[in-house]
Parts: sequence; structure tokens; C-alpha cells
Amino acid sequence: MQRIRLLAPLLFAMALPASAQDIDAREIVKQAELAAYYAGDDGRSAARMLIKDAQGRTQTRQFIILRKDREDGGAQDMMVFFSRPSDVRNTVFRVVKQVERDDDRWLYLPGLDLVKRISAGDKRTSFVGSHFFYEDVSGRRTDEDSFTLLSDEGERYVLEGKPTDPASVEFNRYVVEIDKQTKLPMLINFYQNGDQPYRRVEALKIENIQGHPTVTHSRVSDLQSGGSTEMQFRFVSYDLGLPDDIFSERSLRNPPTDWLTLRD
Amino acid sequence: MRLLLILSLVSSLSFAQQSDSDDWGDDSWDTDWAEQETGLQFTGFIEGGLGGRLQSSALHSRQTLSGARVRIESQYSWQDVRLTAKGDVGFDGVQQKWQTGWRELSAQTSLGQHLDLKLGRQVLTWGTGDYVFLNDLFPKDWLAFFAGQDDEYLKAPADAVRLTAFHDWANLDIAWMPEFTPDNYINGEVFSFFSPWAGITIAPGFHAETPNDDEWALRLYKTLNGTEWALYGYQGYEKSPKSLTVAGLPYFAPLTAWGGSVRLPVGDGLFNFEFSRHRSTDDNDGHNPRISNSKDLVLIGYEWELVTRLTAGVQLYLEHTNNHGALLAASPFPQWESNHNRSVLTNRLTWRDSAELWTLSLFSFYSLSDKDFYLRPSASYRLNDQWRFSAGANLFGGDTQYDFFAQFKDNNNVWLRIRYAY
Repeated sequence: MQRIRLLAPLLFAMALPASAQDIDAREIVKQAELAAYYAGDDGRSAARMLIKDAQGRTQTRQFIILRKDREDGGAQDMMVFFSRPSDVRNTVFRVVKQVERDDDRWLYLPGLDLVKRISAGDKRTSFVGSHFFYEDVSGRRTDEDSFTLLSDEGERYVLEGKPTDPASVEFNRYVVEIDKQTKLPMLINFYQNGDQPYRRVEALKIENIQGHPTVTHSRVSDLQSGGSTEMQFRFVSYDLGLPDDIFSERSLRNPPTDWLTLRD
Repeated sequence: MRLLLILSLVSSLSFAQQSDSDDWGDDSWDTDWAEQETGLQFTGFIEGGLGGRLQSSALHSRQTLSGARVRIESQYSWQDVRLTAKGDVGFDGVQQKWQTGWRELSAQTSLGQHLDLKLGRQVLTWGTGDYVFLNDLFPKDWLAFFAGQDDEYLKAPADAVRLTAFHDWANLDIAWMPEFTPDNYINGEVFSFFSPWAGITIAPGFHAETPNDDEWALRLYKTLNGTEWALYGYQGYEKSPKSLTVAGLPYFAPLTAWGGSVRLPVGDGLFNFEFSRHRSTDDNDGHNPRISNSKDLVLIGYEWELVTRLTAGVQLYLEHTNNHGALLAASPFPQWESNHNRSVLTNRLTWRDSAELWTLSLFSFYSLSDKDFYLRPSASYRLNDQWRFSAGANLFGGDTQYDFFAQFKDNNNVWLRIRYAY
């Protein structure tokens, strides 16, 4: 099934060489989206972040992510269970990623037993105090940008993305390098004005897990302030058969312990 | 001296934490990965706070917040049961007494696929309001709220059996509190209030006798395509002793309530609507001025992001007193009774910096019917994973001495808190 999905856009591009440029670029980006955010039907991983500010002061976060796709490239359920630091311990973040409308987001605050719903808001704001944006974690919708293929020489495609609604984001354009083999985005430089990027997202380590190339170490750098956040994943596994009903309000108060027990 | 004792206790705890092999501080980033937790782990915080009145009061000392506390939390899983303990040990310098207690001491488990049980002391919350509670009749700590304690302390714990049943059609929450747990209500010990029976602002420090009876709270709820629906029920007593016995002693009048709510995304924001009918069964026809009348409560709210990282929330709250005519006719002080329809507009503005270290917040209550207000500005700075500094104020105002918020205007205060999380 996966193979057919990957082949289809290529065939389509060959059949329509005239408008190939944009279609090519978009299909590459869609494949990258599938590789980066939709590997397997579901997935689980432990994650930790090291947040460094410009003065070198550090903070940490540690959490477990459960994810299940409702359809490849489409709606998706995600839950993030925080274990560290102690002031966010047992806090749970729940997202239902939507395609046609804004994502549904909830935050469970255990001290208050409060299920706080979060309004749509700007997705390009800090994810739990890190340099990662919400959008870096859940994925930016590919139809929000137009793409141009700058280069397909060597091992990577190089594409430029421009927002269709520039007022909705803080960047003017970005240049993304996608590995031809794994289809994973390896480097993204965001530009505001001029030729100097102000924000960078890098994949630092790729591992093959159950046949899925997976980014297990990445970094976001704020090139203006000098701060950066590294994120590492461990205990990654796919196609666990996560039941639908664990992605619910029930799991906020009563986390699905069986599915949060990690093994390599 | 007592503070020193607490500080030394915590420093020894945090020292123990540092020697924990599970630590993944900066040094271990490249090598160690925090392994899965095994055995008992203790987390928590130590917090010191200071707060004082903006103007001197004939009824109280200047201090409204003074003291320190240690929170110790731990969790343990045994078979399929999750045991949670959260305890506070602290000294309250304003009331000059130790304050120790369990915030939570509970056992939680799933009984089969469709049933969850949580037993023991726990904090319970539901409903859609922000600082406004219609169907959430679980205990609140208004003293902590007025003194500038962390929001967590607004919700007081209760000893309860909470059973939740999950079904495709809807989920059902049943909370049974074998002993009625009242709010930590404003009784004059730290904050004065207006008594219509005395005709002045008083600070008696009274304690009403708590009914020796149980409480029930129910919620039937379901989320459908991003829209959250809920129906609620409650049987118990009013949470503060607003009524008087024949002998003139404050007591908790029986209360039954039912209501509903809906919350859904509308436009770029979140819309919520909630209503609740509170039935005062000791005074069904409203003729008894000593006992609270029945009330109908309605809340409409909308929250949205104004600009990046600045969120606004507005709520309109309406309180309709039933049999108001009968109340006025029987009341010895009709001029001080609440309006037939009391309306309150609330507004919350929250701003965070890009690194989420600073949080600035302003919450305001303004009564359109009484023209009185309550402002809660606050600022908090998270220095790192351990230290957090917060400061804020509680400002009440209004023309009269007796309206809901205006009665507290002698209690305007500012506060400061420092918290170290371990």
C-alpha cells in the first residue's frame, strides 16, 4: 500500500510534464510529511529535550508520545505524557490533528484535575518552553505553503517553501533539504529578510526502526538569539496496535500504563 | 525557627535527589538516558510566600500571606492499581498555626474495559467556567484564592469515591463524598466580609457546623466532533454557610443542582455555555430570609488568541434569584439583598514571552448589576526547572459596603511567592 502511494505521484508527474515543477515539489513534500509524521499506523516514543538559552542556561523536558493515524497524511491522534521536570510531571497534552479545521487540543493539569481546552491559536509558538514550535511537533500542513524545487542533484532534494498566507507566520520563506532515499527533511532554514537564516531545524541522527527511517536526534536553533533545543527519541516503536479508545479524556486522568511501559 | 526546620528538611531532600542515579542533568545528556523509573520517587516543591494589605485594617493585622510549605509527592503502581500521595507540611504565619494535610491520597484502577475507579482523597474538577463555577460543586479554598496562593490551591481536596463508566454513547462520572466537604469559606479569620445581620463589615472567625451527611455529584459527558457536551447533577449542601438557623447560627442549607454545558471551537476561539439550577430545598418558596433562595445560573464565554502569545477570555455570568419578591418582602434588610438578576463580566488576559519564562496575567470580575469589581493581576517568572517567582495582587472595589466584591475592599492585598521544585 505504502509503495503504491509513493509511486502514484511519480507516475502522475510523468504524465503531466508541463506543470511538473510545482507538482513535483509538492509531491516530494507530501512524501516527506508521510515519512516524518506518519510512519507506520501508530507509534510510541520516549523523548527528552535539552533547552539552552543564549546564556547557556539549560532546562529539560521528558515525555512519552503516543500517536495513531486515522489516515495516512490526514487526521491523527496524539498524546504527550510528561514526566519531567517535576512541575509538569503527570501533565498530559492531547491533540487531535485535523485536516479540514484547526486541531483540537487539551491540556490536563493534575494539580487541579482540570481538563483545559486550548484555543486554536498560533501554532508557531513554543512547545512547552522549547525552541520547537507546536507545528514542528505535529507537522505543518503542506497546503499552507507553495513549493519550488531548487535542486535535485546529489543525495537531497532542495526545495523552497513560501507561505500562501504570509501574515499567518513569522517567516518569509524557508529552504528545506529532503533526503532522496529516506524522504526525511534533514535541514530546514527559515528566512525573514535577506539571505541569512534566523531559525534552523536539523535532523542530527537517523535510525532505521522496523523499516522506517526515523529521526532520533534533532535540533532547533534560534540563530538570532543564540538559543537552541535538542530533542532525542528513544524506545521508538511502530505498529503497536494502539487501541483507538486510549486517545481520549479517560487517558488524561488515568494514563494507559500498559502502553506507556517502554522496551527496546 | 519553624521555617528553618522546613528549609533544612527540603535541602536534605534535594540533596538526596541529586545523588539519584536517575538524574539526567546537563552532564549526562550525551551518555545516560533516564531509564524507566523504578521504585519510589519523591518529587514536590518548597514554597515561601509573603503578602500584605494595601491599607491597615482595624479588624486584622497587615499580613495576609506569610509562611512556607513543603510538598512531597509520590506515586506507586501495585498490580493495576496506581497509588498517589501528595502531602503538604507548612506553617501559616498569618494564623500562626501548622498547616499539614494530604492534597491527595488515592488509589486508582480500571475495573474491566469500561470502568475506572478512584478512591480516597482527591481533587475533583469539571465544568467549563474560568474561576466561575456553576456545576462544579466540589470544595474550593477561597482563603487561598484571596491570599494569592497558587491556582492549584483554589481547588480543595475531598474524600471521595469516583467511578467513571465509558460507553460509546456517553461517559458517566459518579462522585460520592461520604462526608460533605465545604469550601474553605471566608469566615473573617484573615479576610473580613459584610454581614447584613450585623449591618457592618465583620471578621468573626466563625466556624459553622458541617452537616454530617454525604454528597453526590454526577456528570454525563461526551465529545462529538470536537464539541464537548455534559449534563450535571448534585445533591448535598451549599458549599459556604450562607444561611442561618432559627437560633441565628450560620449553617449549610441543603442544595440540589442540575445543569448542562457545551464547549466547542467557534472561529479562531473556544466558545462555552453552561447553566445550572440550584434548588434550596429548605426554602422552596423563598419566604425565609435566613435561608438562601433557589437560583438559576448561566455562563457564556469565549476565549481566543488576540495576537501571538496573548490570549483573551471573556465570560458573562448571570445569576437569577428565584422568588426574589418573596425574599424582599420577608427580608429585614431588603436594601442589602442581592439583585434579582446579578450579572458579572469577567475578562482574562494572559501573555507569555517566546521562551515561556514570563507569564503575565490579568483576571477581572466586574459586576454590571452591582458595579463592583475584583482584579487579579499577576506576574510569574520561571527561572529554570527548579525556581519560579510569582507576584500579584487582589484588588476589590465598589461604591457600597455590601455588594459581592465590594464587601472585601478592606482586604486589598499584594503577594509574592518563591517556589523551588525538586
